[in-house]
Amino acid sequence: MGRIAIVGVGHSKFGKRSDASLRELAFEAYSSALDDAELESSAIDGSVVCSATHYDKQRSPAGVVSEYLGLSPKPTFNVEAACASSAVGLRIAWSLISSRLHEVIAVVGVQKMTELSSGEIQELMGRAGDVMWESPFGTSMPAYYAMYANAHMAKYGTTEEDMARVTVKNRKYGAKNPQAMFQKPISMEEVLSSRPVSKPLKLFDCCANADGAACLILTSSERAKKMTDRPVWVAGIGLASSPMSLAGRKGPLTSFEVTKNAARSAYEMARVKPADVDVAEVHDSFSITEILNYEDLGFARPGKGTKLLKTNETELGGKIPVNIDGGLISKGHPVGATGASQITSLVHQLRKEAGDMQVDGAKIGLAQNIGGIGMYSAVSILRA
Amino acid sequence: MGFEKFGRFGYVSQTKIAPLVSYLEKNQIMATKCKECGTLCFPPRADCPKCRGSNIAWVPIEGKGKLVTFTEVYFAPPAFQDSTPYLLGLAELQRGMRVFAPISNEVDRKDLKPGLELVLRPKQAGEGVFYQLESR
Repeated sequence: MGRIAIVGVGHSKFGKRSDASLRELAFEAYSSALDDAELESSAIDGSVVCSATHYDKQRSPAGVVSEYLGLSPKPTFNVEAACASSAVGLRIAWSLISSRLHEVIAVVGVQKMTELSSGEIQELMGRAGDVMWESPFGTSMPAYYAMYANAHMAKYGTTEEDMARVTVKNRKYGAKNPQAMFQKPISMEEVLSSRPVSKPLKLFDCCANADGAACLILTSSERAKKMTDRPVWVAGIGLASSPMSLAGRKGPLTSFEVTKNAARSAYEMARVKPADVDVAEVHDSFSITEILNYEDLGFARPGKGTKLLKTNETELGGKIPVNIDGGLISKGHPVGATGASQITSLVHQLRKEAGDMQVDGAKIGLAQNIGGIGMYSAVSILRA
Repeated sequence: MGFEKFGRFGYVSQTKIAPLVSYLEKNQIMATKCKECGTLCFPPRADCPKCRGSNIAWVPIEGKGKLVTFTEVYFAPPAFQDSTPYLLGLAELQRGMRVFAPISNEVDRKDLKPGLELVLRPKQAGEGVFYQLESR
């Protein structure tokens, strides 16, 4: 089986984009990915449009996105896996090209969230869990992650200060990312004194809803070698699922089995170990999630994720720099775009184009993207 | 029909296991048991996850359990905003069965930690009927 390459990436500004519609956001990312790949639309033979469609005013947005990008009548369809939609889109593109059904695929991750009223957003969040057995008690997205946080705190002595370190680190890097929603550092005191959302999580432990898009252009190794002298290779893709209901999950809820399973597949496929990873993008939907991710991805032993933060090992210059683009906590979380945004940042790192945020000698990058309340997790490993 | 009464605010009305609601109204917490292989399920299931049998019996379960984890919700969906802050918990019952449920406001927040012994009891509030975790 031939290898699959990423030959172009594009990213819109994330944030409260009251100037732009869903299709226009998709165009920004798509057009900059074509420029990056030095291609025209005629070279693209299919699109995979990734969004959590329950947030979109437009039903089945692939239709209108493909039309606006000038890709009709080429095949298009939507991929939905909540917050992991575009990481799953990458998996679909890999399969479409590996099977030789297609040669050049555009994965377009996009979400328009801020034009929904806060009531509509809260109503949607309320149905993020199992609607038969859990939503009827008033669940929310933060509530689920807060339950993991309390379990981790009780078992390992993790503190609110430990969690705040994630936000402080990521916001420091977000301040240097012109595409981020929040481009301002934040202090430990500001995080710790922010209002409670679902205890122990506070406002600044949480990422924000945002509008935005990111686009990846993928092709076969034969085509990639003709197109570019700086391909980035998809070395491993892992995807797993977990029971959606919290009651269906086993163990003390101090880790996400779903991420461990996805990581195992991706590491095996790429033939790398956690210690081989030079730079990582992990799903920091909440500060606690980043700590659990360190452990689930094998960067730290169970319960020792907080130590990586205290010893600055996940900072630029550390053993395994994580979320050096600011993460979801700084960039905002336009749900369908986040997975492709993580991959875009890794591609810049592996092509040594990350400027002030460049990790020296980065050759292997890993992106991890959780869907919803942890029912999906995707791990993607890229090589320069 | 009928299942919309389950919980503080129901989203689903139609299911094969709607009888749970009438049992709760009679102050009983019931699980389903597969008549083919004996697998016990809580929350109830119309279809056995082990043998795919769809011939089930309702059986009472004991509510004693231990807290696995919990949270106190401040930012709530619209239907719940009048009752913030409120507690949610995950508890382990007999034979490894787990339940996601509200924790009674009467439980002292200072006592909340994994391992805390609680009991699941039926509860009626307004039009709704459900179960909640209470002090033993």
